[in-house]
Amino acid sequence: MKRADLVSGLVLAAFGVVMLAVVIPAQIEPAPDGYVSPRLVPNLAMIVIVALSLLLVLQSLPKSEETPKAGTPVFFARDWVALAKISGVFAASLVLFWLGSPLAAGAVLIAGTLLLLGERRPVILVGMPAGLLLAVWALFYKLLGTVIL
Amino acid sequence: MEHLAIGFQNVLTPGTLFWVTVGVTLGYVLGALPGLGKATGVAIAIPMTFYLPPVAAIAMLIGIAKGSAAGSAVSAILLNTPGEPSSAPTALDGYPLARQGKAQKALKMGLFASVIGDFLSTLILIALAAPLARYALLIGPVELCSVLLFSLTFIGSLAGRSMLKGMIAAAFGVFFATIGIETETFIPRLTFGMLELDDGISLVPMAIGMLAVAEMVIQAGNMRNLDREAAEIDDSTRPEDRRVTLAEWRRCLPVIGRGTLIGAVVGILPGLGASVGSFLSYGATQRSSKTPEKFGTGMIEGVAAAESADNAVVPSSFVPLFALGIPGSVIAAILIAALVLHGLTPGPMMFIEQPQMVADLYAAMLCASGILLLVGYAGQRIFAQVIRVPIRLIIPVVLFLCCIGAYMNTNSLFSIYLMLAFALLGFFARKLEFSFVTFLIGFVIGPNLELTFRQSLQLLDHDPMRLAAHPIALLFGLLTVVTVVWIGRSNRRLAAQRSARPRAGTDAPAEQSHT
Repeated sequence: MKRADLVSGLVLAAFGVVMLAVVIPAQIEPAPDGYVSPRLVPNLAMIVIVALSLLLVLQSLPKSEETPKAGTPVFFARDWVALAKISGVFAASLVLFWLGSPLAAGAVLIAGTLLLLGERRPVILVGMPAGLLLAVWALFYKLLGTVIL
Repeated sequence: MEHLAIGFQNVLTPGTLFWVTVGVTLGYVLGALPGLGKATGVAIAIPMTFYLPPVAAIAMLIGIAKGSAAGSAVSAILLNTPGEPSSAPTALDGYPLARQGKAQKALKMGLFASVIGDFLSTLILIALAAPLARYALLIGPVELCSVLLFSLTFIGSLAGRSMLKGMIAAAFGVFFATIGIETETFIPRLTFGMLELDDGISLVPMAIGMLAVAEMVIQAGNMRNLDREAAEIDDSTRPEDRRVTLAEWRRCLPVIGRGTLIGAVVGILPGLGASVGSFLSYGATQRSSKTPEKFGTGMIEGVAAAESADNAVVPSSFVPLFALGIPGSVIAAILIAALVLHGLTPGPMMFIEQPQMVADLYAAMLCASGILLLVGYAGQRIFAQVIRVPIRLIIPVVLFLCCIGAYMNTNSLFSIYLMLAFALLGFFARKLEFSFVTFLIGFVIGPNLELTFRQSLQLLDHDPMRLAAHPIALLFGLLTVVTVVWIGRSNRRLAAQRSARPRAGTDAPAEQSHT
């Protein structure tokens, strides 16, 4: 975790500096006379983040007498695979939504996730999306009497 | 009292009771599934309550919170995998009981302790919130700003193992809360020209993304372990192994009383959370036992202690929310969105402006406790089967519900994008141990903190010496500094102990990170 803390501390400190130097001045106009600046709290939050991130970096630096250790791994291959799979399904589902088919988007989201997580039974792959979409339709359109799309 | 009687009349209608029952059942199921806690359940369900009457909507959400707090014991007992971290001490004795074939006994005791803890703690909330709110009305912006700052620092310091990371997360929460049009000058802040961001980032897609979607990605990565544990569940057919005996009740009732008290006190203090309550109660019960060495091997008192405190934390954590408008827990933070949406702004003024709505809420909470007992008892076997469902079948359902919940918030795809962006942030926050709870609480407190901070600057005329006229603000400022120093030191000591143990060559069997 120490190495992960070191890297995340550096990344956050760099992010904070960029926000303070570039993004906040560019994205928030200065206040008219007599008003408290709208940049005040975002700037303060970022200053706190930069300061604490640098402290995190300092805390994570290996001490001179210590032999460098790899530490416990934070990310495993299986985490990245899961993230990639679920991101892929969401991307496919969003494309279908843009193309004008929310129903297909919902079905792909459910069936695609099932398929990518290892489900192979056709009854489940077909039945679960159909059942869930039907249940949502019944809940909102019939029971609550409202249109959600 | 009169309001409360009318509140019961309003709540004890078939429609409201139906939605409370739906909420409790849904919460119980969500709580039983590892990783899907009460906050996730409430976050997903908020948009679904848009079309319900206010009392039914809030009652349903409270039902979910109470149901999932009790339901998290199911997976802790049967799988040794707590549905929520606060049920981890339940697993210490619940799982050994399940391995001895006494799963039904442990589940029943877990349920009874949960219901008693929850009910008594709700009474404490009713007794304390309104009187505290009267005092809260006496404090001005300078004092409120220092109280908010203290709460946020306290929560940030206690969340997770690293105080630094907790406070970074809190600062990020406050920062994200500043996005949108600034209320005093009407200048857009960090909107990048996107009109959707003019009103700021909505809590609902953010919470759904950080809590539910991120958790599902983590669960997808850990799928095989969860499915293997679910396949190893055993159950006895002997009647005495399936019920709580009179002797066990006698032993457990004082334990439940103590657990409720500990849970209620921990809940009132912002930021400590249900995990602290359940571990403190478990530890106190073990210390006061005549046979402390038997704890961890299947003592029913262990289950009673942990569950009573865990569930007592939920209602009492609403005390600072109702009295001061400060969410003491992530569930309270998320409930703010629901309460505001349905016309009730948490804070001291709600007792003056909408006393009937508050009474309805109290009545709904008390009814939810009773329904929790009925639903939990009647459906215990079914809920126990829920955790046998492979996680690969649960993840698509949750993701689908997340999308519906986020979409319904604004009826646009932008909410889905926000949800996905915060899901990614939540994924990294979890893996790198940055507290997403602190982040969310920082986000919720943010606007109020900024407003009171600006008002304080104007009241004090930018002169810190004028703080001398605000002793309460000074006291909380001092408390903030003391908290940071004290918790920082104790965290460093704990970290040193943790790193010293392996180096010293101790085998430290099954060391559990309880705190």
